[in-house]
Amino acid sequence: MSDIILSVNGIKKSFGGVHALRGVDINIKRGETHCLAGENGSGKSTIIKVISGVYKPDAGNITIDGSEYSEMTPQEAIRSGIQVIYQDFSIFPNLSVIENLAFNQVLANKQKLVNRKEFRKVAEEAVEKIHFSVDLDARVETLPVADKQLIAISRALLDNAKLIIMDEPTTALTKNEVGRLFEIIEDLKKNGVTILFVSHKLEEVFELSDTITIFRNGENVISMPTSEINEEKFTYYMTGRKFDKEEPKAARMFSEVVLEAKNLSAPGFEDVNFKLHKGEILGVTGQLGSGRTELSLALFGMLKKTAGETLIEGKEVDISSVQIAQKNGLALVPEDRLTEGLFLPQSIIRNITVSKLGKLAGKMGIISEKTLEEESSDWVGDIGVATKDHTLPVQTLSGGNQQKVVLARWLSMSPRVLILNGPTVGVDIGAKYDIHRLLRELALQGMAIIVVSDDVSEVLATCDNVIVMQGGRVTGYISGQDLNTDSLAQAIQ
Amino acid sequence: MKYFDQLKKQSEFYVFLIIILLGIIIQMRSGLFFTNNNLLDIARSMIVPSIYAICAFLAFLSTGPDVSFPLIAALSSYIAIDVTTKMGYAGPVIVTFIIGIFFGMLMGALNGFIIVRYKFPSLIVTLGTSTIYSGLLLGAFEAQRMDLPENLADFGRTSLMTVVNQKSGLGSTLPMTFLIMAGLYILTYLVLNFTMTGRGVYALGGDEVSAERAGFNVKQIRFGIFLINGAIAAIGGLCYSIMSMRYLPTEFAGGEMIVIAAVILGGTRMTGGVGTLKGCILGTLLLTMVSNSLILAGVAVIWQRVFIGMIIIIGTAVSALQGRSSAKVSHKPRKEAA
Repeated sequence: MSDIILSVNGIKKSFGGVHALRGVDINIKRGETHCLAGENGSGKSTIIKVISGVYKPDAGNITIDGSEYSEMTPQEAIRSGIQVIYQDFSIFPNLSVIENLAFNQVLANKQKLVNRKEFRKVAEEAVEKIHFSVDLDARVETLPVADKQLIAISRALLDNAKLIIMDEPTTALTKNEVGRLFEIIEDLKKNGVTILFVSHKLEEVFELSDTITIFRNGENVISMPTSEINEEKFTYYMTGRKFDKEEPKAARMFSEVVLEAKNLSAPGFEDVNFKLHKGEILGVTGQLGSGRTELSLALFGMLKKTAGETLIEGKEVDISSVQIAQKNGLALVPEDRLTEGLFLPQSIIRNITVSKLGKLAGKMGIISEKTLEEESSDWVGDIGVATKDHTLPVQTLSGGNQQKVVLARWLSMSPRVLILNGPTVGVDIGAKYDIHRLLRELALQGMAIIVVSDDVSEVLATCDNVIVMQGGRVTGYISGQDLNTDSLAQAIQ
Repeated sequence: MKYFDQLKKQSEFYVFLIIILLGIIIQMRSGLFFTNNNLLDIARSMIVPSIYAICAFLAFLSTGPDVSFPLIAALSSYIAIDVTTKMGYAGPVIVTFIIGIFFGMLMGALNGFIIVRYKFPSLIVTLGTSTIYSGLLLGAFEAQRMDLPENLADFGRTSLMTVVNQKSGLGSTLPMTFLIMAGLYILTYLVLNFTMTGRGVYALGGDEVSAERAGFNVKQIRFGIFLINGAIAAIGGLCYSIMSMRYLPTEFAGGEMIVIAAVILGGTRMTGGVGTLKGCILGTLLLTMVSNSLILAGVAVIWQRVFIGMIIIIGTAVSALQGRSSAKVSHKPRKEAA
């Protein structure tokens, strides 16, 4: 048995003239946890699909356990012990845990009839492998995301997986769930399973992996042991850019109150008080379910308040609808930009200008394409959306650039108060840096900003003051000079 | 208690409650609901809608709405009856059914082919094909009302059960077609629950990509569904003609909406993957009760549709609310836009 379980050599793959992979080599050692990092669009997903047999490479070959393949079918990949856990977990939300676990094996055995006893046996065997306790008869859609992922993992193990590829497995998990997943991964490693872990989250990569491979623009920039790499190098290899160290912000003084909440309550949180000043960036942080998201929705009129009041520039305003919020100069960049904020199949132009159509319209309410184009190209330039053509649909952009489009739309309204919920969730490092810089600039120009986030580094990088929420209540307020990693981490716990 | 908790989660249970409640109300106001002849009448009126309900159910479960079954029923039963009449065929009715089923499957295959091959939405495709079938029926075949050939008429006159209400003297009979319906339900139930293909129908409705990755032959299953739907529609069409004792070409169209409403009412999820045959029967029973028996409770016929509409909205609202509360937990991870 060779020491290398999987090696890919010189893999090339292009889609209609776009080179997704430009001759990539990777070697994965038996029993290691190997991390594959890279920004969106760097070719991570493509190489996974080549390894799992979904895509046929244009050139190069794959060696698994000593046997060489120039291309593979998904069945061959599975037979050689490769299992991919996709971001959507490939589960059937409408069926029971038992069926989700048993189907693959039963189908592989070409059984035609249903034998419920056998299904249950297979399922029990599967969950036993990772000591996963779950109601086997439950319908999967009623389970939390973490359990769905564990279902996918135990199903992969049933097929005697030697190499498990996980595509950004922590995206939808809470902190505790991530911890549990990591324990399971450690456990798998002890049992000799090799893991290829795709991620662009720094902390995870460092915590978990033995070896790191970083992709950029379809090329393998570097593969090295995790112990020899640091944060700065990691960011550099990933983006090809050097970033200025973020200077510690001087505590700033504010005078003019723009938005004030007094004893504000709504379903999900209660009794919240804060003052937001002109030019201030206020952080709202807390764990999932702390009420942070609900607070942002209530401020923007998407959630009806049950008590308390909101004051805008000292005057009480009952923000009972999004229209009233907008009229008062509020803007919200929602948490899930894909479902809440963007019209994915529509062009970038239309997405940027949609909230401002009333203002851009000429006499008689007629809108000229030219005005829209000018408005849009101004923003595309200002905010740095990486696209050649802003008539393309938004869905052609990477996550970070989609987020910039959402931002541009709201900024074009020149809001007095900008509320952002998880502004850089799912965004890669380069775009994250750009967005943070942009927010700081906007604040300097006098915009009042609320950043709702559970990302400690993000809160530190952007916010002047922070309110901490827990179980629907404000449990802490950290201001200016007291704001650092320790104080924040302590307050969130 | 645990059993009851599980019951509470099923929308079938609520439909069942509404049925009981409605039955009691009608009984209290008229004293005529829980009588042997009325119950048999309802069973009789349910036969054809519940056969169609299987078509609507299978389509929703796997793919999406199918609205072509009434016209497939009309055209295939027309061909079967016309052909056997012209041939002077007088043998067992099974042959007439086989002819109908054959043409029904042909029409279903066209639906299936377009939907599977070109991935068009099933609503549009079946709307289109049913318009074609209606055009063929009335234009090309110039279908007219016609009497049934003797073998079908005989079959229609044979009854499974006859009752007479002692008090009112009203009688009612249950035709043989009831057995056909029961047979179809049993068969569908067995296939859906005890074969991997049947589980594949659910899997496909839950998540098509996952089904493909798991190793189900998604295309084959989906095509099969529409093929079978054609066959079931043909059976439904022949049963309808047998029960009316003549072929009525214009009486088929428009029946799809109430059937679809019954299926949704019975807890079948419009987005696929969830639903039971039990729910189909209960949904159909409820709507049949409203259209058959409401008059007994003194509700004028002109108000009947208002009631049907209200029940559809209330019933669907219950299952929609349930779906929403379970969807809250589920969170679809976003797909990378690469």
